[in-house]
Formats: sequence, C-alpha cells, structure tokens
Amino acid sequence: MKEIHQRKIFDYLVKNKIENFIGVPDSTMKYFIDQGFKRKRVLIATREDEAIGIASGFALSKSNSLVFMQNAGFANSISTITSLVQLYEIPLIFLIGWRGYLKKDAPEHVKIGKIQPNLLKILDLQGKIITDKNWKGSCNWALKKLSNNESCALIIRRVSL
Amino acid sequence: MIRKEAIRLISKEIGDNVIVSANGYISRDLFEVDDKPTNFYMIGSMGLTSSIGLGLTLQNPKKIIYVFDGDGNILMNLGSITTIGVLKPKNFIHVVFDNSSHESTGGQPTNSQKIRIEKIAKASNYKVFLATNKNKLRKILKRIKPISGPIMIVVKIKKSNYVSRRVELKPKEIRNRFMNYLKNQKN
Repeated sequence: MKEIHQRKIFDYLVKNKIENFIGVPDSTMKYFIDQGFKRKRVLIATREDEAIGIASGFALSKSNSLVFMQNAGFANSISTITSLVQLYEIPLIFLIGWRGYLKKDAPEHVKIGKIQPNLLKILDLQGKIITDKNWKGSCNWALKKLSNNESCALIIRRVSL
Repeated sequence: MIRKEAIRLISKEIGDNVIVSANGYISRDLFEVDDKPTNFYMIGSMGLTSSIGLGLTLQNPKKIIYVFDGDGNILMNLGSITTIGVLKPKNFIHVVFDNSSHESTGGQPTNSQKIRIEKIAKASNYKVFLATNKNKLRKILKRIKPISGPIMIVVKIKKSNYVSRRVELKPKEIRNRFMNYLKNQKN
C-alpha cells in the first residue's frame, strides 16, 4: 500500500477515537507505524500476544485500541485470541500485514500466507482487505465493529517484493 | 507460607486496589479468599497477566494496579518485563508467587529453580523485593507505599496439596463487573 494512504489511515483512525496502537512491526505497514511514531502514539511490544494483552488492558478501561502485526505473528496469537479476546469479548481492531499473499514471496511466508484467510475464517474473526482505493470505507467498517463491541481484522496485502 | 495464605494477606492489605490475577491456581485462590469487583480473573491466555496489567496501568495512572503472577506465567512472557521496564509505570506492582513449579499441571519444575526472576526484573528497571515469609511480606507491603513503580515482589511459596475451587463467574461477568468498577471510579 502507498505511503500516503498508510499515513492517512493512521491519522483517520486517531481522528475517530482510536487511542492506542500497539504491535510488532511489519514492513508491509512501515509508513503506518512511522506515522504513529510521529504522533507519539505507538507502543512496540516484544511479541504479538503481548501486544494483544496490553491492548486488552486499555480496552477494559474503555480506551479504543488497535493491534498491528504480520500474519505470522497473528498465527502466533491464536490461543490469545480465543482465550482472551473472544472469551471475554474484548473489542480490538487487528491490522495484519499479509506476507505470502504472492506465491513468489520468501519461503518462510509461503505456507502461513496461504492459510491466512482460513485462519480468520476458523476463528470467526471478520476481516476486510484494506487497499489504496477502499481504505476509508474499510476503516469505517472496522470502527463500526468496534463501536458495536466486536473485534475485527483489516488486512494489508503485500503486493510487491 | 502457601500461595493461598500469601494471596489472602496481600489482597486484604491492599483493599480496593485493582488486582489482575493469572490463570490457574492464582485466580482460583484469589476468588476463594477475597472475591471483589476490583479483581480481574484471567482464565486462559497464560503469560499475559502482566501485559493486561500494563495496559490498565497506562490508562489509569492514578490507580495502583497489582499483577498477581506466577513463576511459570511470567517465564512465558519475559519480554513483558522489558516493555514494563522501558515504560516505567509508577503505579505498577508486579507480585510473582514463586514455587518454581507449574503446580496446576502436576508440579513440573520451572526455570526459576535455577534462574532468579528478581534479577531479570532488576536488570529491567524494576525495584525488587523478596518475601520469604509472611512477616517479611507484611513489611514489604508497608515499605513500598511511598515508592514509585515498577515494583516487583517475588513471594517464595511452598507447594501445597490444597486446591481452591474454580472461579465461578463467567468471563463476561468478570469483565462487566470489573469494567463497571473502573467506569464508576472515573466519574
């Protein structure tokens, strides 16, 4: 996704009352994260499940949170999603960079990238692909989910290597 | 001292301050000895007690947040100690009940038999205290009152055959009761 849109997405979410951005960096969304650093609103965790834990602490205090990660880190977090986020019904937005979307991606991304859509499906976590064209609509969809106390995922595909 | 005694002692001493308690026997003990709306019992997601506590701490800077952790639990999320050590929340008190074992799964050993968790915490900007008996624990709880966090109290406990009953609240009930408490405090 283009730099300009990544930066716009960050500012748009802040404008719409997302207060905390916690995660593990992913190059697919590096401008989004950089915008967060510029705005001094990003917290980098050591692992994706740690990020989800911290975000849950904020969410229990009624402070809206987004967690960002690469799809491999999302896979690392499955048990945290089922036994914390879904068990206690804690609303969070997941922003996931999708490596392995292209079949020719680096070898470590291929298998996990292939199963990414199915992971969301079996977790019953609703997701939308966010692109240069639909970013505002996708953000609005996620914000609406959050205001209904539901978690959801926005996925950024890695379309160039 | 066994875990349940230590948990009772601390929970009664700190009154209506927030406690986030780790999954397994720690939450079960706390539920049995001192159930209150300020307790957030974790049922699953082992390792994340301190992370949830950190989020609460950052969003509620005027409130003291106690994290009731276990040695096995914190060893699963050691990175959390470094994140807390970097952010240095003043209102964060990390209590680790250390029996060097995974008691609820059959007493298998943890690495805290050979590696001291308090040293890891000290290297990560925590102020560290070690309680080896009830008297020391009482004294530490008084001593830390004027001190800014992050603070870690490692409480050495004996293994025990006593098992508290399961937390009888549903996860959503735990969540709602806890969130209502926080909300009412802010108004």
